[in-house]
Amino acid sequence: MILSIKDLTVSHGEKTIVDHVSLTIDKGEWFALVGQSGSGKTMLSQAIGQLLGPNLRASGSVNYQESNILACSKTEMNQLRGKAISYIFQDYHGSFTPFLTIQQHMDEYLQTHGVKEKQKRNSMAKEALESVGLDAGFVKRYPFQLSGGQLQRASIALALLLEPDILVADEATTALDSVSAHRILSLLQELQQKTGCAILFITHDWRHVVRYSDKIAVMKDGKIIEVGTKQKLIHQPEHAYTKQLIQAAPTLPLRVREVSKS
Amino acid sequence: MSVIALSPKKIKKTKIWLISALLVLLLAVVAYTFLYLKHDATMTDVGNRLASPSWEHPMGTDHLGRDVLTRLLLGFRLTVGYSLIALAAAVIIGVPFGLLAGLRGGWLDRVFMRIADGFLAFPDTVIAIVLSGLLGPGIGNLLFAIVLVKWVNYARMVRSTVLTEVQKDYITIARINGLSTFTIMRRHLLPHIIGNVLVLASLDFGKIILLISSLSYIGLGAQPPTPEWGAMLNESRPYFQANPEMMVYPGLAIVVVVLVANVLGDYLRDKFDVKKEVQP
Repeated sequence: MILSIKDLTVSHGEKTIVDHVSLTIDKGEWFALVGQSGSGKTMLSQAIGQLLGPNLRASGSVNYQESNILACSKTEMNQLRGKAISYIFQDYHGSFTPFLTIQQHMDEYLQTHGVKEKQKRNSMAKEALESVGLDAGFVKRYPFQLSGGQLQRASIALALLLEPDILVADEATTALDSVSAHRILSLLQELQQKTGCAILFITHDWRHVVRYSDKIAVMKDGKIIEVGTKQKLIHQPEHAYTKQLIQAAPTLPLRVREVSKS
Repeated sequence: MSVIALSPKKIKKTKIWLISALLVLLLAVVAYTFLYLKHDATMTDVGNRLASPSWEHPMGTDHLGRDVLTRLLLGFRLTVGYSLIALAAAVIIGVPFGLLAGLRGGWLDRVFMRIADGFLAFPDTVIAIVLSGLLGPGIGNLLFAIVLVKWVNYARMVRSTVLTEVQKDYITIARINGLSTFTIMRRHLLPHIIGNVLVLASLDFGKIILLISSLSYIGLGAQPPTPEWGAMLNESRPYFQANPEMMVYPGLAIVVVVLVANVLGDYLRDKFDVKKEVQP
């Protein structure tokens, strides 16, 4: 077990956005969090990294290596971020500072986390880009000089640079076409096997869930209504909403049978 | 398509050439005043007052026999120098205030915004006149009044830029990767702000020159015998009918410098246009 969330509640004034959520994520697991827009998935993921805005309050506990992240001080949090938890977002254009090159981004993060030698930082940046299937020469480029798919790959390289234990992918493929999305996800799967990081995969696309995840949690109106392994949730969904989600997925019947055989 | 019409590219080229030429001219004037001045700007020679142009005095002399060209050149240093000082002070006070208000929010932001609203409720000139009138005439008080009026604009602009940028993912990602607030401010936010500040400052530059000159003209800023252009205009007022050139020279100088400042500001604004930023 790498991360355990207990009774996490996020509220905005009187309104409760995430309602007493408890989850555990194991090492190297692909954990899918599914739910429709506005169900509180993103808020949950942001609470894990203490990224909530000033108007939002989080209570409960998020335990990582026997320490409660929610109670961490600013300096402790800066140590944890990047090394323990990393994120990739939907908007890959917004994920890079427009006037810094890819290398400058990576260099800065490596320096912050104690890689002192310039030579080593440079070679690490190049390796990171190569590991996501990009040309090492791209380090010198500015974000606007890369295409959408390339940028998303670069943002994965950036997120995995410090070898985090947990990678939160918040709707990471929503803005990509379906072919690119599958490429990115299989790349993630490959990298996950290599680095052994757990992935908290937030999506509303049931097709990706079926194909890649190990464990699934279904979220509705701020509550987790059903958690289980992929096999269990697909074949014996208990909750009516889960059944509805499965039925609503634009999946060909062939695909479902193929997955269920495996 | 018309044959005479200039392409946008050509217009832009002309603009850059114009700006460069004017800048070189101004720099030459500054260099000249530092290296070589034939006359003392405050030395009077009443026997040779209101003289016509000659080799000795290319722009003639004023009502006290002082060399007009010398005064004009020194006035350039004073007027432009004072404006730069006021501008720098406004930027130095305004930018950190805006950064802080935008990043921190809360009561600090609310208090600051009310102060800013108060200043913005009146036109710049009115506040500057009232303040320097209350503090008493003198260039120091005038500069203080101008800084007090101008810093609000910078703080407000920086604050709004910070508010929009902070919401973007790259700031979140920088935070996720453990960068401190100060580093994020310096490396990821400041470059955004510098462009805007530069544009606003160059547009303000002309306005401040005008403000200093006009307040000196009505006797609130630089006092005679300081060769400040506005003060020179004021001094030459009684001689306007017999010797109009005494008024024309400093007036023309103000027009040219303000024009250059505005053209430069326009150029920088085009250059830093946010819409163009995305294009490769």
